Amino acid sequence: MTPGPDEATTAERLRAQIAAQFGRSLHIRTLDTGSCAVCEQEIRLLSAPHYDLHRLGFFFTPAPRHADLLLVAGPMVRAFEVAARKAYEAMPGPKVVVATGACALGGVYQADPFMHGEVEAVLPVDVWIPGCPPSPLALLHGLSVAVGRLAEKVPGLAFVADENGGGA
Amino acid sequence: MNPLDLLYGAGGAWLAAALAGLLAGSRRPGLLTCCALSALGGAAALAGGGWSLIYGNTPVVTPGGAAQTITGGPLQLQMTSLAGVFVTLLGIVAVAIAWYAPRYHEPGHGTAVYLAVYNLALFACLAVLAAGGMVTFLVAWETMSLACYLLILRHPRSDASARGAFWFLALSEIGFLLVVVAFVILSTKTHATGLDAMAARAHLVNGGWRAAAFLLALAGFGFKAGLVPLHVWLPEAHPVVPADGSAFLSGLVVKLGVYGIALFAFRLDPVGGAWPGLVTMGAGAFTAAIGILYAMGERDIKRFLAYSTIENAGIIVTAFGAAMIFHAYRQPQLYAFLLIAGLYHVANHGCYKTLLFLEAGVVEHAAGTRDMDRLGGLVHRLPRSAVVTFVGTLGIAALPPLNGFVSEWLIFQGLFQGFRTGSHLIAILIVLAAATLGLTGGLAIYAFVRGFGIPYLGMPRTRQSAAAREEGQPIGGPALLAVACVALAVGAPVVLAALSRAGRTVTGVSLGRLLLPGELTVIPAHADFSAFSPTYLAVFLGAACAVPTLIYLAGRPRAGSTSVPVWDGGMVRFRPRMQYSAMTFSAPTRVTFDALYRPAVSVRRASDDPAGRSGPVHYEAQVTPVFERYLYRPVIRAVEWLADAIRPLQSGDVNLYLLYVFAMILLAYLVGAL
Amino acid sequence: MPLWFARGLRRGVVTTRYPARPDGSAVALPTPPAFRPLLLTREIVDRMIAQCPGTALSRAADTLVFDAGSCTACGRCARVAPHAVTPSGEFELAATTRSALIKMVPILGERR
Repeated sequence: MTPGPDEATTAERLRAQIAAQFGRSLHIRTLDTGSCAVCEQEIRLLSAPHYDLHRLGFFFTPAPRHADLLLVAGPMVRAFEVAARKAYEAMPGPKVVVATGACALGGVYQADPFMHGEVEAVLPVDVWIPGCPPSPLALLHGLSVAVGRLAEKVPGLAFVADENGGGA
Repeated sequence: MNPLDLLYGAGGAWLAAALAGLLAGSRRPGLLTCCALSALGGAAALAGGGWSLIYGNTPVVTPGGAAQTITGGPLQLQMTSLAGVFVTLLGIVAVAIAWYAPRYHEPGHGTAVYLAVYNLALFACLAVLAAGGMVTFLVAWETMSLACYLLILRHPRSDASARGAFWFLALSEIGFLLVVVAFVILSTKTHATGLDAMAARAHLVNGGWRAAAFLLALAGFGFKAGLVPLHVWLPEAHPVVPADGSAFLSGLVVKLGVYGIALFAFRLDPVGGAWPGLVTMGAGAFTAAIGILYAMGERDIKRFLAYSTIENAGIIVTAFGAAMIFHAYRQPQLYAFLLIAGLYHVANHGCYKTLLFLEAGVVEHAAGTRDMDRLGGLVHRLPRSAVVTFVGTLGIAALPPLNGFVSEWLIFQGLFQGFRTGSHLIAILIVLAAATLGLTGGLAIYAFVRGFGIPYLGMPRTRQSAAAREEGQPIGGPALLAVACVALAVGAPVVLAALSRAGRTVTGVSLGRLLLPGELTVIPAHADFSAFSPTYLAVFLGAACAVPTLIYLAGRPRAGSTSVPVWDGGMVRFRPRMQYSAMTFSAPTRVTFDALYRPAVSVRRASDDPAGRSGPVHYEAQVTPVFERYLYRPVIRAVEWLADAIRPLQSGDVNLYLLYVFAMILLAYLVGAL
Repeated sequence: MPLWFARGLRRGVVTTRYPARPDGSAVALPTPPAFRPLLLTREIVDRMIAQCPGTALSRAADTLVFDAGSCTACGRCARVAPHAVTPSGEFELAATTRSALIKMVPILGERR
């Protein structure tokens, strides 16, 4: 998380700051850096009545100036780099960057003359949401982790199945 | 000691300035002397005009006794309160231009002659305003026209210059002819040549002749004032004159046309019945609407400002027309009120239009072009000029708290009280005029957002505009006018008190507490209608702007903040061509009023590919000059046909000419014998 | 208007209560695999790596390195070794560090 002007330094203070700042209402700016647009569709589905992100206090905004969180999908093609940096710089601090989808996490494309392959190459990512595409439920979980409402689960998972199946 | 003595001083100073300019204007010291004398004259005129507002009408003075001048009538001078408003305006315009001229003009032979003629024009304008008799008025008027013609002809070798000057002269002369006929009608019917005497005996003239005289005067002075369709010289002449000449033409000469209309309407020829007022009001409203609509389609700053002058002249004439209607329907308070409101608008418009033209000259010298689509970003390069222009733009767009708002509010409040006439038809017509002025006001704001925003704000559209510099550009004159604009707004009660004294002299109606009930408030001639305080409004708006500033100062983050470029949608490179251009900004208006503009559009493509991938698309749209084509060209063609028809008379044969002489002598004998 | 209201009351509220309550549709989601280390052999793991279209699977000596962030849940590795791989059912995979998504699974099958 890129801190704002007066920002706490220790982890607890940071988490408390995040929860205090974004706990009630969060404005999200989405960015598609060259994806197949299925991540965009899942993100758009968040506004639908079934998932309804507004009930959690999340809102989409087209203006980076009004945004607290940058939700980035896509493998960061080089042609988009300038726009992504400009959108990031236009956001006032404190701000959070969330990369979603396997493309954005570097799992699909390698860096080549046309793309960076992962969002981390250009922007400082705070939360990673895997999936191809990440379902709206996974996105809601990831956004809640980003604002500090939920703790992340994945460090405790080993992806090792016991006799019953399921990760433990 | 009366105001006329101060005006003698002003006139003398201007004649001296003309002489100084002619003899020594080719060098900088001579140029400065000429401008200093001009400013001195302006100050004297300002003082004299201001004094005459409260003094009332001076007695008629006949310097040189009853001796006939070469023009066949005595020289009669008189300073009236009505003219006093215009003389005050003349004074301040002269001072501002004199302060501006030294840095604007390069010393040289052309400049010397130009400044001499300009000061002569100032003198002639003063003579028109101080004229107490018909002959003096007409001689001074014609001198003023010819001097302005020479002003416009500053660069005689340029085609555009010659064309603009010719349009001015031709229409000026036609107007002069109509004015002469009007004056002659009144003078023969009243057996007097002094204006006071003509006014006193106006009742002797019967209705038909009075109506004819008024209509002739309206048309004749309308040529000078810029009433549509008699306005076509304005957009032709203004772009070719140097900036201070344009400022003089728009700020003052057009007002002289308005003065002529006011002279006939209120002093010499107050015709009974409402129809002259209706005609005047209708002409004014029509002019205002047409003026601003054509202004929307102009890229050249000076042509744009010229059309805006036409619009404002229309507003003033509308106010005068409505005043005449109220007079006919026995509403003397509203009659005086609208006259005062019209005169206030004269002063206001003179100030801010002069300012805008002077600044247009600064822009032209700094950026090398007058085309709005080649400018941009001047607010960073010419900061002081931008501030001064902004004050002028706020004034002319009639935005509070500046003077344009005050005078237009007054005019609207007067028009809204049309119901007091008691006649439904008249009330509806007055409301229609008010609605037209409302449309005009809205379009004026739109036009001036464009007129200030496109050249000054945004990014420079050309390298010339990016290279504009403030050093060496004149700022004093326009700044003085900006201060005058603010003073006219904030000091509105004082101005209105002076104007109401003048109004009392002209109309005989004293508004007193019906205009200024005290405590800096203004009411429109009736206490039960509305009230408004320009001074408090200015203070309130200032305070209202201070509140968010204080909140910001108190509540901004203590730690430093970062400055990043404006969010532009993430474009890689924001090019100046991506901005609005002057023509695209006014496109909605041009589309809505397509029937008026009748643009002739031509589109040429390099290939048939609709996306233009194989080459550029060339789009050209030209506004049809409706009045030139459908009104003037037929008249010009008729005159040419007539000239062709008469040509056989001038065969060059001496014998035929002798026959003509013989025939004429015979005819003269016969007529004399009868 | 009343008809719509009545129908809505009969059907109930459609919006999910997630994350406060679990969502019933989550069981149908495609999820990254969970491995059975006792059934993994190097040969099976290499075949899985060859089939994986992305960079989710790689082998470091006797450890299967599984990058949950790169996994697209395509299921090819499960088709290669159905007894050793089963869907994990985990979809709440958000992480605040990239390294938390990289899991080491020991290869404990008989053939080493």
